[in-house]
Amino acid sequence: MLAAAKYLGAGLACSGLIGAGAGIGLIFSALIASTARNPQIKGQLFSYAILGFALAEATGLFSLMICFLLLYS
Amino acid sequence: MFGNQQYNIINSPLEQFEVTSLLGLNAPILGYLNISLTNLALYSLLVLFIIVSLHYMANNDTKLVPSKWSIALESVFASINSMVREQLGKELYLPFIYSLFFFILIANLTGNIPYSFTITTSIMVSIGLSFTILIAVTILGLSIHKLHFFSYFVPSGTPLALVPLLVLIELVSYLARAFSLGIRLFANMVAGHTLMKILATFLYQMFSGSLIVAVLTLIPFTLFLAIMGLELAVSFIQAYVFVILTCSYIKDAIELH
Repeated sequence: MLAAAKYLGAGLACSGLIGAGAGIGLIFSALIASTARNPQIKGQLFSYAILGFALAEATGLFSLMICFLLLYS
Repeated sequence: MFGNQQYNIINSPLEQFEVTSLLGLNAPILGYLNISLTNLALYSLLVLFIIVSLHYMANNDTKLVPSKWSIALESVFASINSMVREQLGKELYLPFIYSLFFFILIANLTGNIPYSFTITTSIMVSIGLSFTILIAVTILGLSIHKLHFFSYFVPSGTPLALVPLLVLIELVSYLARAFSLGIRLFANMVAGHTLMKILATFLYQMFSGSLIVAVLTLIPFTLFLAIMGLELAVSFIQAYVFVILTCSYIKDAIELH
């Protein structure tokens, strides 16, 4: 029972990755759109995009970390 | 053979983050003396050694034609320099930012070697770094602005009725920085290494099956190599993000919004 609840909780915790995936997709779609509009500031935009990517990815990884903790500890 | 859960539970993928004592000295002197060299300490010394030797190797020695190492290191220096200049406008904090970047970068990259220990996956290191930075930034802001530092928590143009609420929100978000900065680095490293360990466990089980399965496993193995490439990129990006956020916190303390 407890083990089943653990696995269910781990699966539910992984649903936090939906938001991270959507966020990363939004960031890179915005990067492509803005680079197409103004290719001159490509380098500056890319550094902002990498920063945003890392921040968005981190939120997803928080939930993934909870999932790992539930599964293996 | 496949999906054997017992196997996974015994070799937990979180096992690689355990801090174990390699050499220890326990003696009943001065109460209870305990000096031990843990793998965390060993890898910290290794990171220090690598950073120092890298800079020693890349030293130009005032030669006219720089070596390839020297060019690589100088381009890294130039990019960090431009980042600090862009954010802070002066180079006072450049040595701190540069050494922070190299420490985190080398610590993350050495962790990608199989069977090694990543010091940033230990919450003591990452949270310790971020707490140290936040305390230092707060002291910096207090010493520059004295009591005006607390105007940081009240955004300009706030109606008086909203001030208690906004101060609370700003204070919580300010304190949350201390955690989020360290947890971000920690979570990225832990999640990446755990993922690689789990995938490697699956791959090992599939490779040690029959020959046809082993040949077919080469397809997911290429994917695994791509994930390793992603891990290397994450090591770099996390060091960069840590440094850029530290820069922006210092900027907040100096300029108060």
